[in-house]
Amino acid sequence: MAKNIHEIRDPIHVFIKLDSDERRVLDSRPFQRLRYIHQLGLSYLVYPGATHKRFEHSLGVMELASRVFDVIANKDAITDEIRKMIPEVSSDNKLVYWRRVLRMSALCHDIGHLPFSHSAENELLPQGWDHEQLTMAIILSDEMRDIWSSMTPPLRPEDVAKLAVGKKKATDKEFSDWEAILSEIIVGDSFGVDRMDYLLRDSYHTGVTYGKFDHYRLIDTLRILISPGSTEPTLGVEEGGLQSSEALLFARYFIYSQVYYHPIRRIYDIHLKDFLKDWLCKGKFSTKIDAHLQITDNDVIVALLDAANDLKKPGHDAARRIVRREHFKVLYKRNPEDMAQNVEAGLLVYEAAKRRFGIENVRYDKYPEKGSAYDFPVKTRDGRTVSSFVMSEILQKVPVLVIEYVFVNPDMLKDAQQWLDDNRVNIIEQKGDNAL
Amino acid sequence: MKRLEKVALISALIEKLYGKGSWCGETHIQKTMYFLQELLKVPMEFNFILYKHGPFSFDLRDELTAMRADGIVELRTKFPEYGPSLVITERGKRLRELYRDIVSQYNNQLSFIVENIGDKGVVDLERLATALYVTLEQLSVDNKTRAKRINFLKPHISEIEAKFAVESLDSIIQRANLSN
Repeated sequence: MAKNIHEIRDPIHVFIKLDSDERRVLDSRPFQRLRYIHQLGLSYLVYPGATHKRFEHSLGVMELASRVFDVIANKDAITDEIRKMIPEVSSDNKLVYWRRVLRMSALCHDIGHLPFSHSAENELLPQGWDHEQLTMAIILSDEMRDIWSSMTPPLRPEDVAKLAVGKKKATDKEFSDWEAILSEIIVGDSFGVDRMDYLLRDSYHTGVTYGKFDHYRLIDTLRILISPGSTEPTLGVEEGGLQSSEALLFARYFIYSQVYYHPIRRIYDIHLKDFLKDWLCKGKFSTKIDAHLQITDNDVIVALLDAANDLKKPGHDAARRIVRREHFKVLYKRNPEDMAQNVEAGLLVYEAAKRRFGIENVRYDKYPEKGSAYDFPVKTRDGRTVSSFVMSEILQKVPVLVIEYVFVNPDMLKDAQQWLDDNRVNIIEQKGDNAL
Repeated sequence: MKRLEKVALISALIEKLYGKGSWCGETHIQKTMYFLQELLKVPMEFNFILYKHGPFSFDLRDELTAMRADGIVELRTKFPEYGPSLVITERGKRLRELYRDIVSQYNNQLSFIVENIGDKGVVDLERLATALYVTLEQLSVDNKTRAKRINFLKPHISEIEAKFAVESLDSIIQRANLSN
């Protein structure tokens, strides 16, 4: 009997379809919790439209993951060389199984996120935990195992968990070449659909249009290829999709610069972390699944509003700074001139400011881009496979993203700026083994 | 080890690889660093797992990106048929010079690695580094078993290719033991 197909309207992908087996995952307690986790944390305090949640993003990632799968697993798109290396692509049964696993991994890839999708997991979770570990624990929980085993075909929970977090986080799991490619579809540096969806969706909701790119063209041209000089299969693109790949990577650059690395967004994140450390029991979120599933942004917002209005409540100062918009201000920002003098200029300014104004009045934020250079195989029109870096002068010029800010209590901003003007040269040109 | 000390050692490794004629893409740095850390015990503290082309460190990958952001290395197309090469900038050379003490402390290890595998391509490096991974994982297991394990972990490496890699690795380990 044919399964019921459910359709969900979506502002990015128009309709997202799923069948009744998949609907059970959607309706599960861990997935429904994502309705109450903001995709971009407190960014809505800067971009008022950015109130979208992990829920719709996860649906979008599932939709895009299966679109990519259908393109790369299409028999006409696979060469004999790849067919020999990856036997799974020649078996219809295996393709049906893995397509389902991929969709479910994509759907569940964010179910371990903390409230406000907070990035300071190393400080807010016990040692050794992050949201990917929580994601794996939830996928492997009894509650979810029941759903996986009742599907047609039944899914191995370990397969769903592996693809959901990828090799970087499932370090103790062995990935076949096929599994590595499937996890790359979700979390890959160059063509991961997690990134594709969040760029399109965050761009739409923030109103920052730089995040748009032609994802239809890009997905249609994705292929399993072998990088030049290598024997390992990976995701690459046909020459006709190179411009869409460039657009994706530039979209990423611009939206990071404009939205994710916005200094006010960053300082609100720091104030939120300060609040959570005071408010949470022992300063950490629980890693017990039931406790994790019970806490959402809504609980944190109620606590924030409460603490902001009551001097005696834990986290009052940080809560007040968020709720009343009395956030710390930028005192120093990384810049090329100072970097030429000393690659640790920002850190030195922070250390000096801390000594001068007190640790409670200064905050430091540094976040360098993760991942490799944008190098992936490109299949040329004459049948060769070459590096994207060689083919694209644009990719050669995409700058590395990095932010570094020193923030100061707004009551001290004027004094701090004067102090920095007076002492900047001495601080940055500090004699020592780290001066260049 | 402090971050800039590690950066100076990575810079020194890249310069030596160039001297040996390496293409010096990220994979070359990843695999030679794996040998440096795991075979010669230079305490770089990178976490390696089996991933792209064998043992791979996401920490090292992120550090190389941070070095680009800091203007210590840059990407160039040195070998047009392949991907980008990493090249030390003038700023990187000055930093390596500032940290010359730590570079000279580990100079013998750097030289040994570059001398023995510095001129290898990605395919050979993947096989050798995976052979070292399997050898460290299983310690004293015979060549055939190690070759089978390599083929299991990386099916695109045949058992015959894996056996050659294991033999080459054993000879490198022997030379490393002699030079200690």
